[in-house]
Amino acid sequence: MTERDIHRAPITRRDIFRYGLGTSAVIALSPLVSTPSGAATAPVTESLTRRIAHATAPTRGGTLKFARSVAPTTLDPANTIIAGDIYTLDKIFEPLYVTSPAGQLTPWLATGSTLSNGNKTITFPLRPGVKFSDGSPLTPADVVFSINRSRRNAAGPLSFLDGAITSIEASGSSVVVKLSAPWAPIISDISVFANAIIPANFGGKSEKEFFAAPVGTGPFTLSSFSPDATSLTLKANPHYWQAGKPYLDAVEFLYVDNDNQRVLQIEGGEVNIIDTVPPAEVASLKGNANVVLEQFPAWEVDLLVLNESLPQFADRHVRRAITYAINRPALVHAANFGTGEPGGSFFPPSLQYYSASTPVLEYNLSKAKAELAQSKFPKGFSTKILVDSGNQKFVTYAQIIKSQLQPLGIDVSVTGLDHSAFESTFQKFDYDMFIDYAINDISDPDEMASFEVDVKDGGSSSYWSHYDNPKAIALVHQAEGEFNATKRAALYAQIQSIVAEDAPFVALDYPPYIYATSKTVQGFAVNPGGAYRLEDVWLT
Amino acid sequence: MARYITWRLASAVFVVFGVSVVTFLFLHLEPGSAARTLLGEHATPRAIAALQKEWGLNESLPIQFIHYISDLVHGNLGTSYIYQVPASRLIGERIGLTATLVALAAIFAVLVTVPLAALAASHKDKFADHAVRGISVLGLGMPSFWFGIVLIEIFAVHLHLVPVGGIGSGPAGYLESLILPAITAAIGIVPILVRSLRVGMIDILDAEFVVTARAKGLSERFVLVSVVARNAVVPTVTLLGLNIAYLVGTTVIVEQVFNLNGLGSLLISSILNRDFPVVQAVTIVLGTSVVLINLATDLAAARLDPRIRLQ
Repeated sequence: MTERDIHRAPITRRDIFRYGLGTSAVIALSPLVSTPSGAATAPVTESLTRRIAHATAPTRGGTLKFARSVAPTTLDPANTIIAGDIYTLDKIFEPLYVTSPAGQLTPWLATGSTLSNGNKTITFPLRPGVKFSDGSPLTPADVVFSINRSRRNAAGPLSFLDGAITSIEASGSSVVVKLSAPWAPIISDISVFANAIIPANFGGKSEKEFFAAPVGTGPFTLSSFSPDATSLTLKANPHYWQAGKPYLDAVEFLYVDNDNQRVLQIEGGEVNIIDTVPPAEVASLKGNANVVLEQFPAWEVDLLVLNESLPQFADRHVRRAITYAINRPALVHAANFGTGEPGGSFFPPSLQYYSASTPVLEYNLSKAKAELAQSKFPKGFSTKILVDSGNQKFVTYAQIIKSQLQPLGIDVSVTGLDHSAFESTFQKFDYDMFIDYAINDISDPDEMASFEVDVKDGGSSSYWSHYDNPKAIALVHQAEGEFNATKRAALYAQIQSIVAEDAPFVALDYPPYIYATSKTVQGFAVNPGGAYRLEDVWLT
Repeated sequence: MARYITWRLASAVFVVFGVSVVTFLFLHLEPGSAARTLLGEHATPRAIAALQKEWGLNESLPIQFIHYISDLVHGNLGTSYIYQVPASRLIGERIGLTATLVALAAIFAVLVTVPLAALAASHKDKFADHAVRGISVLGLGMPSFWFGIVLIEIFAVHLHLVPVGGIGSGPAGYLESLILPAITAAIGIVPILVRSLRVGMIDILDAEFVVTARAKGLSERFVLVSVVARNAVVPTVTLLGLNIAYLVGTTVIVEQVFNLNGLGSLLISSILNRDFPVVQAVTIVLGTSVVLINLATDLAAARLDPRIRLQ
């Protein structure tokens, strides 16, 4: 982030990972903290242990002060992709399913689901006794209204997730969703925040009135909302369906976009939780007795994307040579201060159906040279890496990659643009290589697989790489209709294997979400999608 | 005098117009769109085009410019793409904070500058002079964001005397949370002010009227306070006026470091988000205030020094 840390509210869900200001200054000073290999799951275990250790006696009451790098601009679930909006509105509105901190789909406003009609119909019985924060009961009509509103919203950033749905109807105390074809990711799609439930017809109010004073089934409610305020306070919902929760009386979200400020605020004891801790600050915060540093695995992978519309990168040997030549453990060691894991498969290890046996092209300079010798560019070529100049980590990555490709005779120059210009430049395919992060919004890997592999229908021409392997695309579609978990796992393992061999992009690393909390905060956990549920949090 | 003011105000309109033209062009030539921020990376080209059309961004640049200027002439600063509220409201909520910060910083700057410059000037080429000049070079080389963080570490994190950042409630809390930011912003201009004022004071010390005053047998203390200092006020005011524009620029960084929700942070976030109407509106407001401050400085200098004639 640096001067971009500087962002006000509209940081999208993807941007939550941006690190920033001052990291370079600390590079020389911070000892590198080693992370045990395979630690991707360790932080969650650690965090869950901490929760269980205190689970015996949650204390009630108190206000949680939470400084975030993002601010809300709207609370309408169907009309946003901005991180500050999502992680605020998900405390007020809830979907039929949610994803747990361990990444598991968990029935929430539904008690479960059953498939019928050749996997083309899915029935969700609603949880009895659920009330909205105004005391009115949750009905199937509310669910039908909410999901129809979301899926029919052409401007809805995530409405494509509901693309398989042809109809949704109330049936007794259940809702029945009909699909155009068997669609395995459906429950995951239903669990997205955009499909959160609001009262039918906005409870008789206008849309604008409703979202200014929203009513949901979530653990918290809101007294007032101004899209340009610097803080927002949530109060406990007295009608919340989980008896005895939330433990907190209130949550105050403060908007603090500067990385240093957030770190200083937790150090100074002014807030209880901060998000997006810069990796460079991890070591110093770990040494602070009043602060607990938490890392949670994310459905995220940082990619070096190669533009296959250029002759160099259309050459599979060149792409493989580049992948072999990039020393990913060294990259992570140099730029991440011990956070994150070196990349392998294009699926992060936290994602369902990640395959640990993917034949990753590990760093090997002699193999890299051998691959390049077989290509049409045996002597190398000149090329460019495009980066978001505000993302210190990626700028460092680009510099290291530049030096790592030198032995191949590949001469790289690095171009930095501010985030908005960077995004629009690579999305116009006006680049040779670029570094960016790919994320999954839902627990099902189909989103990431189709976005990065399905060049025609995935929505991004294979993450703007033009990578086109018909066999991989066919497997992506096959996996979408496969409900058997073992068979799906095998299909995704095959996809990951093909992508690893074709090397359309280099998976550089898997970064975690990094939070710091004061010692008094208990029960805080973040799921791999970046969402945290605060009804389980209490203060000692 | 009235003619002078009218003429200056008229020329200010041209300056502000120039600023808005340059801002408009630079913004629209830069790639990137708020539509992508709002709709996300899965957005279809159709959805993006629809939003661009809603904002009038599908028109040609000259047409957009005509719309923009015509709105401006009608006093309409536009509506934020991101917040969906009028840019004037966003500015109205934040301008007070930035103005207070600039004013406090200016006061701090004067309080520090005048004694230091007087000390250096009255001890020309002696130790005190070298010390003041040396320290001010040091201050010049210190980035304000770094200095701000150091102040926060010492006075907020360790001593708990002031808040780490953000703005406190009530007038006392408000001022309290602006102390460190104002000092940080002031530090950016103090070295330049001290050095310029020192030279100004040395010139005055050598001036004939000072020689005359001393020849009359007046005490050195009286000469310094009543003759030199009085005459030094004019260059101080002029210098300060010139540097306030710089101070306004500094607040952009200072507001970030101290998490203050002023015009500076609004400007930066709006640029990064390509929230064109807000960037344009803030630029116009900042440009106008700089022009007005310069005018006020000239008027004040003329009032303080009868030798200055404004025409």
